[in-house]
Amino acid sequence: MENRDQKVITFHSQYAAFLFRKRYGEGCVLRPVPRSLSSSCGTAAFVEGEVSGELLEGAEAMYEKDGDLWRMIWKEQD
Amino acid sequence: MELREKHRLAITGAVIGAISVLLVVLGNPKNMGFCIACFIRDIAGGMHLHTAPIVEYMRPEIIGIILGAFAISVITGDFRPRSGSSPVLRFVIGFFVMIGALVFLGCPLRMVLRLAGGDMNAFVALLGFIAGIGVGCIFLSNGFSLGRANEATRLEGAAFPAATIFVFVMFLAFPSLFLFSESGPGSMHAPVVASLAAGLVVGILAERSRLCMAGGIRDIFLIRDFTLILGFVAIFIAALIGNLLTGSFSLGFADQPVSHDKHLWNFLGMMLVGLGSVMLGGCPLRQLILAGEGSGDSVSAVLGMLFGAAAAHNFSLASSAGTGPGTNGKAAVIVGLIVLIAIASLVTVKERRKYGRD
Repeated sequence: MENRDQKVITFHSQYAAFLFRKRYGEGCVLRPVPRSLSSSCGTAAFVEGEVSGELLEGAEAMYEKDGDLWRMIWKEQD
Repeated sequence: MELREKHRLAITGAVIGAISVLLVVLGNPKNMGFCIACFIRDIAGGMHLHTAPIVEYMRPEIIGIILGAFAISVITGDFRPRSGSSPVLRFVIGFFVMIGALVFLGCPLRMVLRLAGGDMNAFVALLGFIAGIGVGCIFLSNGFSLGRANEATRLEGAAFPAATIFVFVMFLAFPSLFLFSESGPGSMHAPVVASLAAGLVVGILAERSRLCMAGGIRDIFLIRDFTLILGFVAIFIAALIGNLLTGSFSLGFADQPVSHDKHLWNFLGMMLVGLGSVMLGGCPLRQLILAGEGSGDSVSAVLGMLFGAAAAHNFSLASSAGTGPGTNGKAAVIVGLIVLIAIASLVTVKERRKYGRD
């Protein structure tokens, strides 16, 4: 599933991840947060399409694949 | 990348399983190379928090785990002090996790080590652990969350590892300040250097791999992901091989080391541990690792476990090897399940209101 267009969204809670998957629909897979992004063992959403802002309620940050790394492209404002 | 994470977990699990067998060879009680709950209980005794004479010793393994996680997280940048995610609730949950573990006589890690030693009572406990995680997952998928943690100062994050170092230095310099069992499980231990080194290795590896005895089963329930469970499986296989090689494997329910065969209470005790671990976001081992990474909330959970261990022996809540729990212990497990389900229900209702959904 990993390719250059892939995005990962991390969340503050499991429930927020479930809500995101429900709203996003097809093309969203929930998996453990990549170790390179966090030492937490929470759940992240992996998507390959665009992600509109209103879907990101409860999200912590969004990353885009950049070579072998994940580059942050959005972060929740405090 | 995913493959690398799986390799890391499998290697971590295999090393922990092998170290656990080695520590038994070096002197730790059978099937107790590592047990987070038992060792925190021994530390509670060593620090005069309870006076059960057979379970008093300042286990260097626990100190090593915290300091190993602290050191590697500072080096790799994972040290991110934070706190404020319902610390008092985490203390209460940690308290009852310890009660459940001491009614079964082991944390989830020792449950796997007991299984690898042929102790079938641990299989009954595993079913309870899975059931508890299942109940916890129902709450998680319906909105349960203990809330966000806020960033804290580096001083705040380093305070617990520093306190751990202070206690350990005092233990080495002034051992007469602490209590030492002369018989029973507390009197059986590997040399201090070996125990500390083992703890450091486990702390480092568990921090890097995010090993969690509850997280693997939780992820299977919630997202059908089998990554985290690899560590759990690898510990079992490595310890099983080690036990077979050292002649420590004995299949059955009766006469297992530091255990009892009261099936209902093995099941319910670990159900309480499973539910509490999901609510805390990780098993007792994981709480130590997170405390080393600077999580004040996990320090609250660890202190809750320490307090729970003291209460378990001061109020006769812990099981006795061979005979199982008494009336107080049985009542404490039931109360614990009621309290944790009540907390989970109240928090879940509140969180769902926050998201504006039924």
